[in-house]
Amino acid sequence: MMKPGDPAPAFSVKDHLGNEVSLEKLRGKSLVLWFFPKADTPG
Amino acid sequence: MSFDTPQENRAFAEKFGFDFPLLCDVDRKMGVAYGAADSPQSSNAQRIGVIVGPDGRIAEWLPKVDPSTYPRDALKRI
Repeated sequence: MMKPGDPAPAFSVKDHLGNEVSLEKLRGKSLVLWFFPKADTPG
Repeated sequence: MSFDTPQENRAFAEKFGFDFPLLCDVDRKMGVAYGAADSPQSSNAQRIGVIVGPDGRIAEWLPKVDPSTYPRDALKRI
């Protein structure tokens, strides 16, 4: 559980096209992140 | 985003025509850091929703969001 004002943890992951996406590269922008349990499943 | 591979998420994105990147946290480090998983051994991510502000700080953290409405609603708040 995180609280507003906490520093966002650094990350560097690939997207579905293989592009590297990191918090560092996105600094200065607002981000909306949401996790889902498993690709292409209703659950 | 999820713990799936780029190949799995690419197939998912192409099937539904998603126009946003699906991030692939295959080692679950991001999921653990953001509170979507208890450990790197977790099989699936929990449906958390997070807004990060331009200052690099958490602006919103919700423990369970509805994927059919959260992205649109969250974008209105940023």
